[in-house]
Amino acid sequence: MLVAQGIRKRFGGVLALDGVDVAIQPGQVSGLIGRNGSGKSTLFNCISGFLKPSAGQVRVDGRDISAYPPERIVACGVARTFQTPRVEPRATVGDAILCGFYTKGRSNWLSALAGLPRAVREERRLREAAFLLLERLGLAEFAHVEIGKLSMGRVRLVEVGRCLAAGSRFLLLDEPAAGLTREEQSVLAEQIRRVAADGAGVLLVEHNFDLIRALCRDVTVLDEGRVLYAGASAEVARDPRVVAAYLGTAAA
Amino acid sequence: MLEFVVRGLLLGSVLGILALPMGLLFTTVRTIDFAVGAYALLAAAVAAAVPGLPGLAAGLLCAVGAAGVMGSLYLLLRRFGCEDAIVPALMSFGLAVAIASLVLLIWGTQPFLREGFSTFLSIAGLRISPQGLVDLAIELGIVATLQAVLHRTDLGRMMRATAANPAGAALAAIPVEALQFATFAAGGLLAGVAGLLIMYSSGLDFTAPLGLTLSGFGASIIFGIGSPLRAMLGGFAMGTAEALGAGYSSGMVAGMVPFAFVLIVLATTRFGEHGLAGDRL
Amino acid sequence: MTLLRAHPNTLVAVALCACVILAVRSDPAWTDTAVLTGIDTLIALSAGLSFGQAGILSMAQGAFAALGAYAAALAAIRLGLPGAAGLALALAVPAAIGYALARALIRLSPLATALATLALGSLVDIVLRGWESLTGGYIGLAGIPGLGLINTPLGYLLLVCAMLCISVFGYENLMHSRHGRALNVIRHDRARARADGVDVNAVLSTALALSAAMAGSAGWVYAHYISYLGPDSLTTNTSIAALLTAVIGGAGYILGPVFGTVLFEALQRFLPAQEAQGLFYGGALVVILLVARQGLLGLAATSWRGRRRLRPVQAPASAAV
Repeated sequence: MLVAQGIRKRFGGVLALDGVDVAIQPGQVSGLIGRNGSGKSTLFNCISGFLKPSAGQVRVDGRDISAYPPERIVACGVARTFQTPRVEPRATVGDAILCGFYTKGRSNWLSALAGLPRAVREERRLREAAFLLLERLGLAEFAHVEIGKLSMGRVRLVEVGRCLAAGSRFLLLDEPAAGLTREEQSVLAEQIRRVAADGAGVLLVEHNFDLIRALCRDVTVLDEGRVLYAGASAEVARDPRVVAAYLGTAAA
Repeated sequence: MLEFVVRGLLLGSVLGILALPMGLLFTTVRTIDFAVGAYALLAAAVAAAVPGLPGLAAGLLCAVGAAGVMGSLYLLLRRFGCEDAIVPALMSFGLAVAIASLVLLIWGTQPFLREGFSTFLSIAGLRISPQGLVDLAIELGIVATLQAVLHRTDLGRMMRATAANPAGAALAAIPVEALQFATFAAGGLLAGVAGLLIMYSSGLDFTAPLGLTLSGFGASIIFGIGSPLRAMLGGFAMGTAEALGAGYSSGMVAGMVPFAFVLIVLATTRFGEHGLAGDRL
Repeated sequence: MTLLRAHPNTLVAVALCACVILAVRSDPAWTDTAVLTGIDTLIALSAGLSFGQAGILSMAQGAFAALGAYAAALAAIRLGLPGAAGLALALAVPAAIGYALARALIRLSPLATALATLALGSLVDIVLRGWESLTGGYIGLAGIPGLGLINTPLGYLLLVCAMLCISVFGYENLMHSRHGRALNVIRHDRARARADGVDVNAVLSTALALSAAMAGSAGWVYAHYISYLGPDSLTTNTSIAALLTAVIGGAGYILGPVFGTVLFEALQRFLPAQEAQGLFYGGALVVILLVARQGLLGLAATSWRGRRRLRPVQAPASAAV
């Protein structure tokens, strides 16, 4: 289980997160919603090691990873996407997905340099895995296309695919469905369900309520750095505090 | 030892002048001009060829002209859509190599030296080079002028705005490109002055440019690259270290000082550090 | 054979070397030029690896070569070790220094790293010039023995060509592995690399160490071939030339530095004066950076791609991605 407890993050005078608790169970998809500026990305950054929490702890199966650098956290099987996909426009889709498999390789520099059979076999294995992933995401036909030429929706799918490649145990998805067509959204939802069924835990940040309700059994609502609500996603739309926060007190 | 320190301070005046373009350029344009030492060389070479005051003026003009070439190249690069900080730096490197080669072609390997003061002054029992005093006076004048311009004039305000936020400055109707070009040109002028001063003391030859650039850079980062004042102090620090090194150890150690400074400061400070979120500095 | 098909760059390198060897083998003057060009090419290749792939603007490649050369020379002269041991030292010493430097500085931006390598290069220059008891100072080290059987100019040419082809082979293998891919990602976006699980510090430091070792091996050949080493043998100028030719040829392409060095060594013959070299190199760099930042090979690649019609994109039959 991935547990973030009492996460506080201060930037100078601004308290971006004020004692946030969130937990991800293996095999389950949990939602994280909130208005822009409520601290979702900051929380992601704290969990994935890109920011150090001012207070609080992040634990994976009991191990405290709060002070780990991002790459070490990925090595623990926790991977994330970026809200604005970080991609190299001239790289091909296949290469981008392949890069996500970095931690799945075992060959060292020397065997790679020498072109030892062990390294060659590993490379082939990684490429096969990458191709399979591309097929599952419906991106196989774009394997050799430069990312810069794709629609934003497909670029986000590539970003998610890269995360799927790297993360084996916990995935943090930051608005993966933004800009996707209905078809692409259903492919994405299917992939998220599948990866959860394989045993991974997913934390899904989304503004798309339908997707949250379809995928997540429970959801956490953040508002101004605090947890406003943590419970069943079916009930969240009815909670008066959530409604007030999203729509403003006038509408409540 | 006091004599070494004094010698170092005077030596450091010129280093401080070389450090100024580094700081100015980095804060406004976020890149390094490797050709600063080459501008200094060019100024000295031209001034050594043309006697008297016209020679000095011609030297400075050439230095500014060369820096103007670099400024234009920089603006061209931005026009072509290159946002990288490394490409202009690499380009300035090519320019530096080209200028050094040009000097070599025209004037050969001879050092550029002008006869300065022939005797040393004796003040409070210390041997003090009068040229050194001139260097110090000139540097103090330059730094004072720069500080005044940066903090008390509209030009300075615009420069600081451009440094802090180029996009915002452009929206505020500040002529960003002209300012950036002017910064390069000013760097050329400052480097030219430094080159002329060195010409009057130890002289320099076609192998000098990169060493001068590095020395200037080293002096500029010791106390933080932000202001002319810090550049000046950095120059003093480095000059003193060099003089002490030469006095108590060997010429080899003295020569190593600027480069060792660069390495030590870069290894221990936050200059140019990558933000964890991958922001380029 | 898939081995050949998977290593197009090595194939080209081997073909190039074969042509050169066949062309010059009967002319001692040309053979000598070829050996020196080969050494320069190896150093430029190392600059291409560090800058083109890792994004480390290293101005110390000449210094790494010098370190390798002096290590090899001292091993042979002072310790009486055979050439192979000298090679091991020529690889290890620069690699160690390169690794340590990178580890200390790699959190810095590429610009700061460039300045640091320039400072290191200048330091090495000074130490080699000044530490007389070790390096012979201005007098240098003379009488470096040859390499056993390989004691003719043609022998050295074969050696240099072999080393070049092996280096290209290793370079190619590296870029086709997860490590090479990680390097490229780091070059564009370090945060992205970290999110892929890449230990940026370790990877970059290893890359610079490799590049330093490659330059060191060039120094090893140089020392044994010329049999004399002085403070002016491999200097900052060598670093500069290596970097310039690598960028002009196309630092991002494996063979870019090879192409750039060979082209420039050939064109140099037509320069009006030896002194104009810097003007030529510097001017070419400025032009290339303005109009063809990917280098000459990049220019060739884009015009080639533009002329070919796009093949229809199809799902590969095998797992080749």
